[in-house]
Amino acid sequence: MTAVIEVQHLSKHYRDVRAVDDATFAVEENKIYGLLGRNGAGKTTLMQLLTGQEFATRGSIRVFGESPVENAGVLQNISFIKESQRYPDDFRPRHVFASAPWFFANWDAAFAAQLIEEFRVPLNRRIKKLSRGQVSAIGVIVGLASRAPLTFFDEPYLGLDAVARQLFYDRLLEDYAEHPRTVVLSTHLIDEVSNLLEHVIVIDEGRIIIDEEAETLRGSATSVVGTRAAVDAFVAGREILHRDGVGGLASVTVEGLDARARAAASAAGLELAPVSLQQLIIRRTSTSEKEFEATA
Amino acid sequence: MTTAQFTKVIPTTEFQRVGRIVRLHFANPWTTIGLPWIILGSIFLVNLAIWWIIFASVTSASDRADVSDGLQYSGASFYIFVYMLVVAVQAISITFPFALGYGVTRRDYYLGTTLNFVILSAIYSAGLTVLSIVEELTNGWGMGGRMFTAVYFGDGWAQRLYLFFVGFLFFFFIGSLFASVYVRWKANGLVALFIGLGVLVVAVAALATFTQGWGVVGAFFGRAGLVGSVSWSLVITALAAVAGFLVLRRATPRG
Repeated sequence: MTAVIEVQHLSKHYRDVRAVDDATFAVEENKIYGLLGRNGAGKTTLMQLLTGQEFATRGSIRVFGESPVENAGVLQNISFIKESQRYPDDFRPRHVFASAPWFFANWDAAFAAQLIEEFRVPLNRRIKKLSRGQVSAIGVIVGLASRAPLTFFDEPYLGLDAVARQLFYDRLLEDYAEHPRTVVLSTHLIDEVSNLLEHVIVIDEGRIIIDEEAETLRGSATSVVGTRAAVDAFVAGREILHRDGVGGLASVTVEGLDARARAAASAAGLELAPVSLQQLIIRRTSTSEKEFEATA
Repeated sequence: MTTAQFTKVIPTTEFQRVGRIVRLHFANPWTTIGLPWIILGSIFLVNLAIWWIIFASVTSASDRADVSDGLQYSGASFYIFVYMLVVAVQAISITFPFALGYGVTRRDYYLGTTLNFVILSAIYSAGLTVLSIVEELTNGWGMGGRMFTAVYFGDGWAQRLYLFFVGFLFFFFIGSLFASVYVRWKANGLVALFIGLGVLVVAVAALATFTQGWGVVGAFFGRAGLVGSVSWSLVITALAAVAGFLVLRRATPRG
């Protein structure tokens, strides 16, 4: 277990906004991390801090054991693909793909060529004239073909259709298997990537509210469905994440159930349903908002 | 502090890191090389047409000499100097966020960009000098026209080469300072900078006026001569270059 990224008590404040608020976490080498959260939760700011683009208000960041800020020895191992990545106005995609190898020592030209073909990126059209999805595809291709030891994808697929997104997930997973590296993927399309992620970090209003193995997280909550009375009796005293009800029926999401609790639920005639990563995160983030309001 | 060994890429040298920024600026030379020459070429053609009209309508040798005398004050090629300010602003505001996504440090970026501006200054001053020599050899393109040998560019090709070069450096690095301010503080920063510069100019003018110092200023530039006066701009150029770096060093690329 080697932590490529170690963050301690990291904060970034802009005037009255706490974009990142006292974050502490670590990212282990050669794993795929999901950095999840709502829009404006602080995902991009966090990635900018980790790549030395933004300056911390407080706290420490260690990437490959050193501070990333203005540190060429660290930064040359990093590829950071942003949703809003701007390209020089007069560039055509071929200029991007011609210049990327100068910056990424592990660049694989054959892989890039294959991806250009698969994503159907027109090499000779000016980037300004490309569709949003085609511009995103350029970023995705650079991020994959650069094979940087530490790769950040910040919502890389704006405007990409479902086919292209699936292609991205497939190629990422295949290439990652052959060339292990650390990938941090920020997204709000949680269900789409949930099978890809090995570890999940959820940020909400600048604070890290979940930092867990994806596997653990998936089993951590269960929906209990049944008649209102039976459900209420069963969930009494348990940690409730969410509650839904129609007429006499209720569906309540509770924190992880052990085998005995599961048996008791079936005995009471209740149905147990797994909770998707997306639902779980939605429920956890809204919980935290309520808690936040309560303490504020 | 961890002592773990990570899988990393082969380290680069400072030389490589600065060199690839220069290459990045030249990846598509259209904005920095292609377009300015095309515009300059168009201005030249318009001038040629005007010279031809004059040349065709003014026939006596002494009148033609008068025309040529007047044309030495041509400002037709000034545009290209000011345009380099625009080129510098474009180059930085567009490639800076791009390069930082490629894992480049601000320091290496600025060094590479500075080198790029020096190279561009050399290319443009060499080009203008060649044109000025042709202008001389063809006796003003056969019509007594003057665009590249205007009186402000000095005497003889060596002096012109020097003045062109210093002039280009000045506009590139002023542009580079403006661009750094823009990248860091956006439009508000530029407005503040322009107000600051305006106040500075007025303050200097006030100082010169109240101390009856205009004569001293005039005498200073008179003594320095054309080459000397232009050389003094190198001080401003150097200050702008350093200020640009200090501003950019704490800048964050934003979408």
